[in-house]
Formats: sequence, C-alpha cells, structure tokens
Amino acid sequence: MGYDPLIRSLRALFPVGGGKAETPATSSPRREGRAERRPRERAVLCAGMAIAVCFLGTTTALATKAQDIVGNAIDGFIRPGYHAFHEATGGLSEAGKALCATPSQVTLDAARDAFGATVDAWSRIEIIRFGPVTEENRLERVLFWPDRKGTGLKQVQAALAEKDPTATDATQLAKKSVAMQGLGALEFVLFGTGAEALAAGDAYRCSYGLAIAGNLDAIAAELQTAWAAPDGFAETWANPSADNPLFRDGTEAVTELMEVFITGTELVRDVRLGGFLGAEAKDDKPKQALFWRSGRTVDALAGNLAGMKALLEASKLADALPADQSWMGGEALFEFSNAANAAAGAQGAIADVLADPEKRAKLAYFGLVTSSLSDIFGTQMSGALGLTAGFSSLDGD
Amino acid sequence: MAMIGKCTGLIDRRDFLKAAGAAFLSSLTPKAFADTLAADAVFATAYQRRDGAYGAAILSEAGKILQTVELPDRGHDITFDPVSGRSVVFARQPGTFFVAFDHAGRTPPVTVESVSGRHFFGHGVFSPDGALLYATENDFDNAAGMVGIYDARNGFARIGEFPTHGVGPHELLLLGDGRTIAIANGGIETHPDFGRAKLNLPTMKPSYVLVDRRNGDLIEKHELPPELHQLSIRHMDTDETGAVWFGCQHEGPATERPALVGRAVRGKELELVEMAPKVLSGFRNYIGSVAANRDAGTVAVTSPQGNSYAVIEAATSKVLKVERLTEVCGVAPDHAGFMVTTGTGEIVVPEDRSFEENDFVWDNHVLRIG
Repeated sequence: MGYDPLIRSLRALFPVGGGKAETPATSSPRREGRAERRPRERAVLCAGMAIAVCFLGTTTALATKAQDIVGNAIDGFIRPGYHAFHEATGGLSEAGKALCATPSQVTLDAARDAFGATVDAWSRIEIIRFGPVTEENRLERVLFWPDRKGTGLKQVQAALAEKDPTATDATQLAKKSVAMQGLGALEFVLFGTGAEALAAGDAYRCSYGLAIAGNLDAIAAELQTAWAAPDGFAETWANPSADNPLFRDGTEAVTELMEVFITGTELVRDVRLGGFLGAEAKDDKPKQALFWRSGRTVDALAGNLAGMKALLEASKLADALPADQSWMGGEALFEFSNAANAAAGAQGAIADVLADPEKRAKLAYFGLVTSSLSDIFGTQMSGALGLTAGFSSLDGD
Repeated sequence: MAMIGKCTGLIDRRDFLKAAGAAFLSSLTPKAFADTLAADAVFATAYQRRDGAYGAAILSEAGKILQTVELPDRGHDITFDPVSGRSVVFARQPGTFFVAFDHAGRTPPVTVESVSGRHFFGHGVFSPDGALLYATENDFDNAAGMVGIYDARNGFARIGEFPTHGVGPHELLLLGDGRTIAIANGGIETHPDFGRAKLNLPTMKPSYVLVDRRNGDLIEKHELPPELHQLSIRHMDTDETGAVWFGCQHEGPATERPALVGRAVRGKELELVEMAPKVLSGFRNYIGSVAANRDAGTVAVTSPQGNSYAVIEAATSKVLKVERLTEVCGVAPDHAGFMVTTGTGEIVVPEDRSFEENDFVWDNHVLRIG
C-alpha cells in the first residue's frame, strides 16, 4: 500500500534521472481492438491516459526481458531446486533402507535427519505451485497440509494398526489417499506416537515409512524429469507467443513468476504461520503447525522464504525494474534477510518457541516481514513492472 | 492496490465493524439525489481505492460514482431489494460481515456480523417481497455449506439456516418461481484458520443444487462427471427462458482445458457449452462472473485471469464475440449489451465507451439495480 500509480506514471513521463519519456500513445495495449474514445471523453481521461502510457513503456521493456527472466528462473532456481529435492528423497530412501535393515537408534536418527533434509529441500522448491507439480496431485501427494480434520492421521494410524500390506509398496501407496503417502505421513511414522519402536525393529512401520520415502523419490524424479524435458512445461513457459496455450506474451510469463512471490508470501503468512500463531499467546495452536512433531516448523517457514530469495536472485527479476525503482529489489533482499534472522532466533520445537516470549516475538516479527514482502512484490514491484496487480484475478472468487 | 489485505483478526474486525457505514458519503444535494433516482439505469459494485480502502459504490448509467459506502474489509457481490431500495454488499470470503445500505439515504446503513462458526462467501439474494435475505455461508468446522436466513425488516436478525448439500457454496440465485434457490456449491473446502487455502483439491466434488427457500428442502442436486471433479461451479445467472447459466473455475492443472460454461435446466442433467479452443484457452480456466441480458437473449462470461470476456447467444450457445480487456470481471446487462468493470479501474459500457475513476479499482461483480 501507499503507492500512487498516478505519481508513478508522472515520474515515468518526466523521469528524474534524465532520459526521454515515451511518446504518448493514443491507446494502450489493453485497449487494443476497441474503438477510439469519443472526443468529449478525452478531457476527463487525461490522467488515466498518463497511467496507460506508463504501462506501455514498462511492459514493452519487460517483454524483451521476459524470456531471459523466465529462463534464469528455470535454470538458476527451479531445475536445481527439484534436483536438490530428488537428491534428498534419494538420501531418505537410503536412510530408510538402512533403518529397516539394521534397526538402531543410530539408523533411526539418520533417517530422521534425512527427513529433515527432505523437508528443507522441499520447503525451498514448494513455492513453485504451477507446472508439473500441479499434475496428478503431486503437490498434495508430497505434502497434504493442513489436514484439518486429521483424515490423514487416522488413515496412517489405521494402516499401522492393521498392518495394511498394500501401504508398504510405493507403487500401490501412490494410488491411495494423498494424506497417506507424503511428508506428513512420514513425519508421523518417524516422529509420532510409537516411532521409538523403529529403533528396536518395528518391521511393518519401517516398511510403510520406506514405501513413503520411495513414493516421494518417484514423485521427485517425475518433477525433475518434467522440468528437464525439452518440449515440456519449461519450454512453454520460456517461449510465450500468440499461439502458446498458456503464455500469450512476455508479460503473462513474468506474471506467473511474480505470482510465486505474491502467493508464496500469502501462503507463509496466512496459512502456515497464521494457522498456529494467534493474535496473542493464548490463541496459539502449536499442534496446528506444520511439522510440529519433527520440530521443523520454523525451518520450513524459513525454507519457503529462502527459496523465494534464491528465486529473486536467480531470475534477476529486479534487473527489469525501471532505473529509478531498482531499489525495490534491494528492499526485498533486505526483508528476506530480516526474515532469515528472525527465523534463526526462533529455533526449536514449536511449542517451546511459542512458550518463550522472546522467540515468539521473533516469529511474530517474521510474520510482519512477510507482510512487508507481500506488499513489495504484490504492490510495488508489480506496479513498477507494469504488471496488472491482480486485484480481481489473483486467487479470485 | 494491495490485493492481499492485511490480516485482520476477528477481534480487530469487530472494532472496525462499529465504524463501518458511519462514513457513508452523502455529498449530493437532495436535487441531485432526485435526478439520480430518475436516471434510467444504476449499477452497484464493490471496489478498492488506490490507497487500499474498501467500499461499495453506486454508479450511474454512464459509470459515474454517485454514492459510496465504506467497508471494513474487502467486499464481493451486491444484491438489491427493489421493494425497500436497499442494497446489501457481502464481505469477500472468508469475511464476516455484510452491509445493507440505501443509496438514496432514507435509512442509515446497517452492518451485520456473521454468527459464531460461520463466515460469508460473498453472495446473497433477497426474497421477492424483500422480507428475507439469504446468504451463502461456511459452517467451517464441519466443512458444510449453509444458507443463512436474515429478517430484512428486523435489522437483518439471523432467523435460521439450511444446508446447501455441498461444500464451499458460492453464488446463489432466486429462480423465477420466487421459491426455488439455485446454489453453486464450488466444492472447495476452506477454514478461516488457514486463510483462503484450498484444503481438499484432490477430493473436491462441486455440485449444483435447487433448494426450496421456504423449508430448505432439496429439490434437485447435480454433479459433474467424475473426471471433472476439480471444475468448481461458482457463478450463475438466468436467461430469458429461465435456464441457469453457470461459470466454472478449474482447480486442476493449467494444461487441462475443460469447458468452463454450462447450462442447467430444471429436471435435466447439467450441460457444458463447447467453445472453440482459442476462446476457451483465453479464459485461463477461470470464469469470474456470469450475467444474462434477457432482453437481448445473450449471456456474458468474464475472465479476469484470461483478461477476456465473451458474449454467448443463449438460444444457440454460440459465442457471438470475444473481447480482450485487462482484468475484466464485473458484468451486468446494459441496453442491448453489457457493462463490464475491471480490476484496473475501467468501466466499459456498450458502444465501446470506456470510463475510469482514477482512484478506484473494481471488484469481481457489478449488479444492475435500476
């Protein structure tokens, strides 16, 4: 908030740092194909026209940079991100095999560490909520959360109680309820009630956990392959054109990227943090926090923002900002650092963090920083890049 | 134009509510009011100002703002009671208020809060006599859709509710018999603890139901085929024959291109309207609003995500025209065509005349109230 499109557009017409203003156009791209305004309406619309001219200038500049920005995002963040996630799930499967073959506290600890590494890798890349991860319910199969009614928990407990043999096979598991086959289910297996029996050799529980790890590894492999495919989603995204079924122009392609930040910050603040952090301590609901059993709540939150920071840097999105607004990129990076520092000061099991006023305050501050980031991307940077800020379209109704 | 409002807790919101409506703008002279009321067309819509403030506005036929009412948070749709001359603007989901106001200023605005355990979905409708107001609501702890019933002649006291027989109801319509309410159960489960997060996309099951408003009895319930279970039915209007046209939003992969517009005729299965791939593709799997022009025999559907809208001939389901317009969403019948409004602040009326109020951007819906 607090940005004024009219002032911004006047700045564009009369740039502070020299340079020539764009020649005023008679109609903006968004009015393409429609009749000219009637002359009597022109006078009252001059201010609106100034905005249109500004958008015309910045979107044209953006269109030429769109392919680079999207290409950078794919090669510099998304492909490496899914690669890292796949590596982590591979390690998780290995650790699971070792635990099942040689049950001990050492192999259990190693499996738990591998779970943590998988959560870290996922938290960075899960901000990508479009493309192959939306196919075949992959997003929910990796992480079904929030499980508000505890459906997944009940299903996991039932499988453990009944020793359902079909749940110990990764291929069959992939066809079961999404809540039974991802990180939430595995967290219960490794950290939930009865998990300590894994160190002493709970064969069924271990094979179910191993099947989940195998399922995650298979999904991770699919994601990595899909993004690497020369004729896949990456190609579609990086090559907008009038005939492209998903991205008709560079602006639409960059908007998809911008929405990662806009929806990502909203998800972190309203869903992940807001799901358990009350307005006051008495309203906190620690057991509504993601990964509370494994103590990875704050790591996951920090991982989401670390992923967004890495994506911002890798894509060089801020380079497309007009020179007099290039400070917005630095402002975002500054806020990402603030968020990382706040998260670093709120480490530990989430119930302990919430019980410690100092740590809890850091978490609340993390939420404020996320709001600020939401404003930087959703209002300031979107506006400066001439992207429609999506008042109606973003996560509409 | 922050599209993500600051997170407002219920407690804070209640404080806001006391102030809501208090700043009802009444800058027009009595003569101007009279002139306004004499105008042959009036529209109502929710908006956001460029400084982030929310409200609802009454617009003239020429798209000029005649009256505004401030809102404590983002609004969504408006419904109108011609008997009392009052409009009701609902909070956008998961909002907890609606504001009833008389744009002629005869009665002060009334702000009504949702009851404990419920929030609004942004849509509602009056009974033909204006006595009762029906609103789609979320019984969020049970993930059950509800219609809340309010006594419009008694300060909008909530006097009852009945189930929508589905999850995540969105728009509802009163059909021509004055008794049957059509409800679009979008199928998406949400809970205010988790903002607007969609909690059940892999298992969602939208439906279209007809309910008798007098007793809540279920008259008909229709679902789409299982392979279309992620096609959320959300917005509707009735054409000149009484058929209900509905617009959908696809929650599955963007690479899928299901039909997004359909027709519901009483006693028959739902029917989806085929469109040319180029037209369908332009909607980006998202229809934001549906409006019929019963005099012209047309139906318009808008797509703010696809930055385009289409006009369909109701009798033949043929697409008559497609227009590109950035963030177009609000749509209402106007003469032989439609008025459309956009999230960038444009208002376009038939004959391609276009207006902009520099300080306002328009929310998803615009309603013809006169």
